[in-house]
Amino acid sequence: MKKERTYTDRMHRTGSIWSIVMFLVLLGVPVAFSAFYNIWPTFGEVWSGLWPVAMLFYPTAIIEIIAYSPLLGTGGMYLSFTTGNISNLKLPCALAAMDTANVKSNSEEGEVITTIAVATSAIVTTVIMAVFVLLLRPWIPKLTDPSSFFAPAFKQVMPALFGALGASYFSKHWKISILPILILTLIVAINGTVAVGVLIPVGVVISILGALLFYKLGWL
Amino acid sequence: MDFREDTFMLILGLIVIAFILAQSIFFLVKAIRRGKEIGMAGSVMKNTVVQSILFTITPALAIVATVVALAPALGIILPWIRLSVIGNITQETAAATAAIEAVSSGNLATPITDKHVFSVVAWVMTLASSLPLVVLPLCLKRLQKGMNKAMSKAGDAKLTDSLAAAAFIGLIGAFIARALAGKGTATQLADGTVQMNYDGAGILSVATLLVAIVVMLLLSKLAEKKNIGWLQNFAMPISMFVAMGAAIALFHLLPESLATFEFRAPVVS
Repeated sequence: MKKERTYTDRMHRTGSIWSIVMFLVLLGVPVAFSAFYNIWPTFGEVWSGLWPVAMLFYPTAIIEIIAYSPLLGTGGMYLSFTTGNISNLKLPCALAAMDTANVKSNSEEGEVITTIAVATSAIVTTVIMAVFVLLLRPWIPKLTDPSSFFAPAFKQVMPALFGALGASYFSKHWKISILPILILTLIVAINGTVAVGVLIPVGVVISILGALLFYKLGWL
Repeated sequence: MDFREDTFMLILGLIVIAFILAQSIFFLVKAIRRGKEIGMAGSVMKNTVVQSILFTITPALAIVATVVALAPALGIILPWIRLSVIGNITQETAAATAAIEAVSSGNLATPITDKHVFSVVAWVMTLASSLPLVVLPLCLKRLQKGMNKAMSKAGDAKLTDSLAAAAFIGLIGAFIARALAGKGTATQLADGTVQMNYDGAGILSVATLLVAIVVMLLLSKLAEKKNIGWLQNFAMPISMFVAMGAAIALFHLLPESLATFEFRAPVVS
């Protein structure tokens, strides 16, 4: 008898198909440009530009997949890694949605909420970018120029976003919050160039070990 | 016409955007249908949509700023495509810079006029970012199964709850630490002067963080005490907007030395 597929199984299947389709679409851009103008760069030219960034970003991508996977759910993962801007937008958006809806990330409800949040965020970002790029282009520098009235706000998007998001976690779990934030801030203070992709697993490990220790000591 | 922004590039951009919107709408519809199947309230899903819209507006404008930053060299269309699919500010800027420097003497501030250089940049930016699209279909299912097993083995509900919260906090902590401490880098210009790469990590970043936390806690408390459902749902985006408003106000009200103060002296690169 054929085993019935669960919703998660179906999402893995559709997500995989979409990922492959989007990979081909994405690859289609340089292919189409090179074909249209009949200009094909050599392997060596592409490699010399690619390897310095690949050395840094490929391992980071793998770490991000592992770190975000329990938080974003199945649908949220496939969609986030297609639409990008995960750490600065899709992830906080999904976490905020789960917190407000009061659902857990590894539950069926969490799966639904994260997918809705990431999909909505992706649609809004795409529309905003398209509107600005196609219609409001002359206005963009007025908003984002370092001398614009609004410029300080754009520099502080991350603290505003993660402060609002973290507040409820910090107040509910203040005992286990202090240690990881303290150590991470210390690490960045010592070496400011440590990438967020490296800080995340370090932070998660420190935080989990701290929570385990507090649990063993009966402080939770 | 500038080849970087001609009709051909625009058509390429529109095709990519159409696929992105199609995938997002497809997943949104699937999730809403699933929510109804498992008996979730329509109002919860509707609130998630509205909250996510509000939450997205400002970071999306910050992403538009990245497109603008890359536009002088690459035109507007390629950065638009790259920041719409997988991309993010750090990755795209680094990939574009590495590609330009690999095949020319230009940089991100000067327009690329050579189609060959532009094609190398397009290839490098695409290949640098597309790894997850290949890796996810191969490993995500197994990875999530393994993680669920590990979580269910932990047993004690209080412990699993605390471990899940600890993972969130560790992750959020990484971003907060970065926002608070910054990078503290600077660039030595050709004339020997040192130009600081201001990344906003100073008095303003701490103030913004604190305002966001305090406003969020106050609004949550108020919503809970007075039983205001809509406020509970929108406390997060409102706190974010208030905190960013506070950043603007403080920047313009504080003396310049305080408003632009950063914690660490930059390291000359």
